Amino acid sequence: MTSSVENMESETSNQPVVRSVAYQSNHGAGQVEDYQVIQAIRRGETPNPTVHPEVLEAESVIDIEGFNLWYTETQAIHNVSMKVPRGAVTALIGPSGCGKSTLLRSINRMNDLVEGVRVEGSICLNDSPIYAPSVDVISLRKRLGMVFQKPNPFPMSIFENVVYPLRIDGEKRKSVLEEACEKSLRAAAIWDEVKDRLKKSALGLSGGQQQRICIARAIVADPEVLLLDEPCSALDPVATLKIEELISQISERYTVLIVTHNMQQAARVSDYTSFMYLGRIVEYGPTAKLFQTPSLIETEHYVSGRFG
Amino acid sequence: MSETQSTQATHARRRTLPSAIGEPMVWLTGGALVVCLTMIAVLMTMVVVNGSKSFWPRPIERVVLHDGEVFLGIATEHEAQTKETAKRTLYRVGNRDIGQESFRWVDDEQIASIETPSDAVMLEREAWGVWFGVPESIERKGEGGEITVLARGGDEVFEAFDALHADARRTVAKIEGMKKRELGSINAEIDRLRLDVRQGEIKLARGDEGLLRFSWAVWIGLGILAAGLIGLVYRFRAYGTELGSAHARQGSVIRASGAIGIVMVLMAMWIAGPWKGQGVSAAELEALRETVAQREVELLSAYDEVIGRIRAIESADHELRLVVVEPTSGHFAPVSQTLSDEPMYMSQVVRLVRANTLSTGEKVGVYFSRWWEYLSTNPREANTEGGVYPVIVGTVILTLLLTIFVTPMGVIAALYLREYAKQGMMTSVIRIAVNNLAGVPSIVYGVFGLGFFCYTVGGYVDTGASESARMSSSAWWGMFVLAGVMLMIGFAAKLWSKPDPGRVASGFNLWMQRASWLVWIVVLVLVVLLVTKTPYFHGFFEARAQDGTPTFGARGMLWASLTLALLTLPVVIVATEEAIAAVPGSMREGSYGCGASKWQTMRRIVLPGAMPGILTGAILAMARGAGEVAPLMLVGAVKLNQDLPISTQAPFIHADRSFMHLGFHIFDLGFQSPDSQAARPMVWTTTLLFLAIVFALNLAAIMIRSRLRARMAGPTV
Repeated sequence: MTSSVENMESETSNQPVVRSVAYQSNHGAGQVEDYQVIQAIRRGETPNPTVHPEVLEAESVIDIEGFNLWYTETQAIHNVSMKVPRGAVTALIGPSGCGKSTLLRSINRMNDLVEGVRVEGSICLNDSPIYAPSVDVISLRKRLGMVFQKPNPFPMSIFENVVYPLRIDGEKRKSVLEEACEKSLRAAAIWDEVKDRLKKSALGLSGGQQQRICIARAIVADPEVLLLDEPCSALDPVATLKIEELISQISERYTVLIVTHNMQQAARVSDYTSFMYLGRIVEYGPTAKLFQTPSLIETEHYVSGRFG
Repeated sequence: MSETQSTQATHARRRTLPSAIGEPMVWLTGGALVVCLTMIAVLMTMVVVNGSKSFWPRPIERVVLHDGEVFLGIATEHEAQTKETAKRTLYRVGNRDIGQESFRWVDDEQIASIETPSDAVMLEREAWGVWFGVPESIERKGEGGEITVLARGGDEVFEAFDALHADARRTVAKIEGMKKRELGSINAEIDRLRLDVRQGEIKLARGDEGLLRFSWAVWIGLGILAAGLIGLVYRFRAYGTELGSAHARQGSVIRASGAIGIVMVLMAMWIAGPWKGQGVSAAELEALRETVAQREVELLSAYDEVIGRIRAIESADHELRLVVVEPTSGHFAPVSQTLSDEPMYMSQVVRLVRANTLSTGEKVGVYFSRWWEYLSTNPREANTEGGVYPVIVGTVILTLLLTIFVTPMGVIAALYLREYAKQGMMTSVIRIAVNNLAGVPSIVYGVFGLGFFCYTVGGYVDTGASESARMSSSAWWGMFVLAGVMLMIGFAAKLWSKPDPGRVASGFNLWMQRASWLVWIVVLVLVVLLVTKTPYFHGFFEARAQDGTPTFGARGMLWASLTLALLTLPVVIVATEEAIAAVPGSMREGSYGCGASKWQTMRRIVLPGAMPGILTGAILAMARGAGEVAPLMLVGAVKLNQDLPISTQAPFIHADRSFMHLGFHIFDLGFQSPDSQAARPMVWTTTLLFLAIVFALNLAAIMIRSRLRARMAGPTV
């Protein structure tokens, strides 16, 4: 039985194609020859992504349009258009090297630190463009919070680590700093563990605790969006669980964009998921739908682990 | 079957090569390490042993020779039989002022007998070295010439000496203090007044040089212009800074040009203000001369008064005499070689050592009192006796100044090289050049320091540009304005040479970059010309330089420490660069992610993290610079300077003074002293002291660094 997905090779417009065709699963009979989108991508084409209507209807906080990125001569991101809904957790999944971390880092322009990066297209944060000539990168980064794959607390005390973003903005009042620190550590679900040793070095904590400190540091200045780049990949399962609970808690207040290579994590934690492959978005929609009733066979096979 | 056979054959071929055995390497490397350590240990032991034993009081021997000659002395060396000489002993016999050599070799077979008489003494004196003899009496010689004997013979003399000597020395110290402080300040003031007159004469001779000066009206107009520019910059302070604005560069250019313009106008107002340089009129000079002459009269009478007081104290002190007779000629120790029939003053004795009757405790006392004298007093006898206090001060101040200069210079240079500069061919070339600097022989640095720092820069500080090099003032102002305009152009070009974010540099950007480089170089050349050829600056120490004693145009502490800072710069740059590169990139990314700017990241994360490495570089620089003597011989160190480079009078650190240095002192003692045998023990002791000081400085720095390291690495390390 073949799928009823149309062949998209002939479409040249940039409009995301909305698929509402019921997909008939082909369990057990998925052959590589059926991965038409993936094949197209492997041939070097950029097929239009499959975007579910719920995403388009939600209010978006980040608007990526026609975004391309080159590392010197190699193109890493091909014509990505994506709207990140406000107040929800959006996950970017995909095999290694598919450009999800690159896309994430483009949002707070961390890629500017890399030599030879060239971009085209636009990204807007709350309707203000990020890649305009006069954008002050520093003030842009202050509006976003980022947590990296390997926990990177500074060699200072826990208190200094958490209030670092406030200090560099010039905040010196002790009362303000202490209050923000407590609020942030509580939000990161680590207050009870460290409240007695705020002045001790942050390097003395375990990996999971350090990562939670980094999360506290990222949210202390009330960012508009929280960017998480594989935050649990360097941690053990217990710590991972704690952080996933934390993400669910803080998603009530913040918009979260998380990159993960762990499918189950994406399923547990996110509201929307975007599946990327070789720098293109393949499918993007609500997590429940993507994992249970995805539009493309490639997506179904990827999330169930049959390829990649 | 054949398979198994061939497998067995393969296995049978495996064997261990004899060259794979590693044991000989263990012995070889261990042996080499032992050799190195032994060499270091031997050097250290030699220095420590020879350096510490020079102050130990040794017994005084009374030697009677077969031909009847008798002398007193200390046996310092024994030599076995050689081809030319028999077995012989080197005796220190002192007593130079009655015409003998202070050391003599005596063949052992000539010695008839050796005794150690209990009242033999060694006198350490203010001048003419040591005296060996037997004390006879203590006398007081009155004004009329009458002699009162206070003590005679053996124990009486020793008792009276103990009672009277301390006061006599205090008197000497008081006289020295009076000479230094009171006479010194009077002399300094007379000197200053004469310089004032001289400066007035120079100004009169120069007249008003026809330099451009603004009238008051123009000057106030300039002030209004400056205020206007400040207003302009304020008005445009936020122009082009909003997110998404297309005028970011224009806004920056307006603000920067405004700032440059403000600075230029203020400088012009200051350089050519209407109150400046009206020269000195002949009448004013006359008035100055009169006031100076009056003051000089007052000062000279004060001088005479102080001299009178000093003479009075001296003559009272000189009444007290100590008569110590030596056995060979029966002569007593004289006041000096010229006054050889007057017995010496008691105050001329620095220390009396009755070497043969000292108990071990007393010997230890003498030993430590000699060490204390060594560390805290000034040198005597062409640096062969007395102390090295000014030398220690000079060395420590030089090392501290050198570290203070080199660390910021090196750290800032390394920061720029590693963090701000685009890594490419240019930075590689600069790094290679810096590393090669480390290989230049240090004497070359000395020559460079002398020629550039002392004569060129120092000469400029003293007297300004030379007459022939000066420009006319209108040309100077033209160049000034040109430099300012080019600075603004260069800044604008730099801004337009950066592509928009996310874009790659276009051809236009590249041309702008080249243009900005060119303009920066032109600005640099212009600034150098403006500074070195300005007709407005006549130096700070003109009068002294005209008189032939330049202040900064000669060797001194400042230029010496700058020269050594240059010498040790590569060490600091390399160490700092490595330390900065060792700060993990993840920490930097974390800081950028929090919204910190590059400078904030450097200040809060990179520099503190690199601090242990930076301190290592500073320690290495300090150790290397403290040991370099060759450049100092040219640029500042002298054999003797009674003035310390720091003092209690303003400006407290006298960076123009030349100074004494331990390394130079060792060279001087070893090769340039008149009495080289006597100097030999001092060479060892000074070496020991030098090593101890450098060791102490390094240890202090290492302790600071290890504490910083512990803090950086967290509580688990």
